[in-house]
Amino acid sequence: MADAALDRESGGGSVRIMDGVIATPELATPPAFSATGPGYDFRKAVRTLLSDMRRDWQLYVLLAPMIIWFVVFLYTPMYGLQIAFKQYSLFRGIDGSPWIGFDNFVALFSNEYFLRAVKNTLLISLYSLVFAFPVPIILALMFNEIHHQGFRRIAQTITYLPHFISAVIIAGLVVNFLSPTTGIVNIILDRLGFEKIYFLTIPEYFRPIFIGSNIWKEAGFDSIVYLAAIAGINPALYESARMDGASRLQMIRYITLPSLLPVIMIMLIIRVGQLIEVNFEYIILLYQPATFETADVISTFIYRAGLQNNQYALGTAADLFNAVVALVLVVGANWLSRRYSQHSVW
Amino acid sequence: MRRIMTAALLSAVLAAAPAAAQDAKTTKIVDKPLELTIHMHFRDKYVWNDEWPVAKELTRLTGIKLKNVASKATTLSREAFNLQMASGNLPDIIAGNELRHDFVRYGMEGAFQPLNKLIDQHAPNLKRFLAENQEVRKAITAPDGNIYWVPYVPDGKFARGWFIRYDWLEKLGLKPPQNVDELYTVLKAFRERDPNGNGQKDEVPLFFREPDSELQRLVVLWDGRSSGSDAAHDFYIDNGKVKHPYTGDNYRIGMRNIAKWYAEGLIDKEVYTRRARAREALLGANQGGMTYDWFASTAGYNTSLKDKVPDLKFLAIEPPASPTGKRINENRRARLRPDGWAITVANKSPVETIKLFDFYFTPQGRLLANFGVEGQHYDMVDGKPRYKPEILNAKAPVNAQMWDIGAQIPVGFWQDYEYERQWTNEDALKGIALYEKGNYLIDEFLGVSMTVDERQVFDRHMPNIQTYMIEQMQAWVLGSRDIDKDWESYNAQLKKLGLDQVLAVMQKAYDRQYR
Repeated sequence: MADAALDRESGGGSVRIMDGVIATPELATPPAFSATGPGYDFRKAVRTLLSDMRRDWQLYVLLAPMIIWFVVFLYTPMYGLQIAFKQYSLFRGIDGSPWIGFDNFVALFSNEYFLRAVKNTLLISLYSLVFAFPVPIILALMFNEIHHQGFRRIAQTITYLPHFISAVIIAGLVVNFLSPTTGIVNIILDRLGFEKIYFLTIPEYFRPIFIGSNIWKEAGFDSIVYLAAIAGINPALYESARMDGASRLQMIRYITLPSLLPVIMIMLIIRVGQLIEVNFEYIILLYQPATFETADVISTFIYRAGLQNNQYALGTAADLFNAVVALVLVVGANWLSRRYSQHSVW
Repeated sequence: MRRIMTAALLSAVLAAAPAAAQDAKTTKIVDKPLELTIHMHFRDKYVWNDEWPVAKELTRLTGIKLKNVASKATTLSREAFNLQMASGNLPDIIAGNELRHDFVRYGMEGAFQPLNKLIDQHAPNLKRFLAENQEVRKAITAPDGNIYWVPYVPDGKFARGWFIRYDWLEKLGLKPPQNVDELYTVLKAFRERDPNGNGQKDEVPLFFREPDSELQRLVVLWDGRSSGSDAAHDFYIDNGKVKHPYTGDNYRIGMRNIAKWYAEGLIDKEVYTRRARAREALLGANQGGMTYDWFASTAGYNTSLKDKVPDLKFLAIEPPASPTGKRINENRRARLRPDGWAITVANKSPVETIKLFDFYFTPQGRLLANFGVEGQHYDMVDGKPRYKPEILNAKAPVNAQMWDIGAQIPVGFWQDYEYERQWTNEDALKGIALYEKGNYLIDEFLGVSMTVDERQVFDRHMPNIQTYMIEQMQAWVLGSRDIDKDWESYNAQLKKLGLDQVLAVMQKAYDRQYR
């Protein structure tokens, strides 16, 4: 599917660039690693790999920078993860600091505020998944139905502009819009005869505000991926559907959505992997002690408990916990997806 | 003719020479030039620079050159320090801000040299300073009895004070409030009687730029406490006992009243989200009536907003008295900053280094660290340093100018308030004089250094306790919870979260350090 997209003429310039992104997940798995069947012969696999490398060495040279990057920036630092099990001192170093077993983890999990933060993190992510994930898909479908090219380009640009605005400014806008005295939202509420509300200090409102403003910020940009995928759908499908008298909605239902499914699944799996990460910076900017109850997430908890007091070991322990949960989630989502939709990242 | 020229030249040289030539001779620490490495990354954007006029002058006077090894690549001083420590490759000197607990902790682990003997034998000026300022000496002493760092010691007494719209008071025919009841009446009048005269009820009687520390400082008006130091939520000392301000009956009474004032609209409804821009915005819109903030910058709005709000007279008043008649200005300039410098174990010339540290505590070194280079940045007038007009009249504030030349930076030195007085405006100085006269200064908690075990107890409990405290505090102020209904469960929860254990280790550390 993705290859077809590369071959064909497609809409705007930005869309053509994004074709490459679509292609990546499938190209990123070299054939040599996919041999994991029952009669797996390790020595044979190595031999195949070596002969592959001899034959396609140019490709492997192209791949090398990425592998080096992974090794240097993602695998080497894993050595430092051991400080989660140590009483870490900067001066004594990773090797010189004494082991303390699971003390850091015990400290974390016997802490009611950490557990609250875990709960809040998962809830915010889950709600984001439910409410924010479908938005870019719907947006892409809607853009696709706009036939006036000029209008479409302008609309698209407007929706993805907020992505490039820094979180600090977005938070400032949100604070201003929701201000109880001069904010537009409260002015409208007031005119309609409702009480003014100090939104940012009420725990119940925090998640909707956070997720809502995030949708506004990211939906347009995230829709680019789907638009690119839509551009890659074979027009012949639509032509024959039209011959058969299919309506627009039917074409979306029976052609566009099924063709988008692989991309949607991959995006979903990636998103599930990030379920435990919440935009820390943005939360810090929006939350108040008054809203900690719903707004305090793992990263902000660690920021207050750990980094402000230089408890790196505790922070690392929490990070390690994060990583393990994320790994389980990704593997789980991938398994489910392979099982039920036959599409998966690996 | 020639003779006159020579004589003139000679006298000119003689006139100019003494200051320079003489002092360099007496202040030289080393015969041969010595270069030491320094890691100093501070306030997230500066590093030590040997091209600073102050650094060059320091080298000329002492013969020691400090070469910076801190990377400019990062914009986080904390990160730069961590990397330096973790690299295992220590420079001769480490300096910067917010390093107090690191100096002590890593000093006890062996990263920094104990300075007690060095100060005793080679640093007479520093020794005298510490002898005359016992509290500072106690505060910088580690749990093992050693001193590992030389601190930045600020000068001056008052930081923040009460400011009120005098023009509004006059307009409404009110007197400056002398106690908390009168204050309530005044704020109520600000709210109800439209002092800005625009026909709208848009006045914000009380506002704060830093609600996290200043809003709950109102409890002082009811004999409560909000912090023992210039940091928010800090412990305080009551008759030798370490206490937390957010406990006890006076705190409860204070918070109850704050909640009442907030509900009645006397306190800025948006106090928790307006934050940094509150003062400028509310004064500029002619809506704000009163605040508690820094003298110099707050008084400055009388001039900077003159065009926008012509009547603006935002002046300091004495702290209103509590119901028991006490007038307290809880906030003050810190007597000790957690900033300074220390000698690492890698340093091969500790004696020369401590002499260099000592130099900043000599009268001449103190001038250099405070005012910059004589003749270049200041002149001596009647035996007193006086900034040159081009410094005082420049667009950038004087402190920022000083940072750019290497003065007033967080190394171990003793600040001279005179440096700031010279560019503080008239209204602020009058306010400070008012507070001086009333003698409203109270004692400050200088903080403790803990052993590894004590710190563990503290770190385990305190973040949660503080989270809970400020969460409750906001809920009470905003009216979503009621302090009187919560009071028992509040105290029970604090106990459950380990406040007693934290107070116990604080007390232990305090007794060791200050008794």
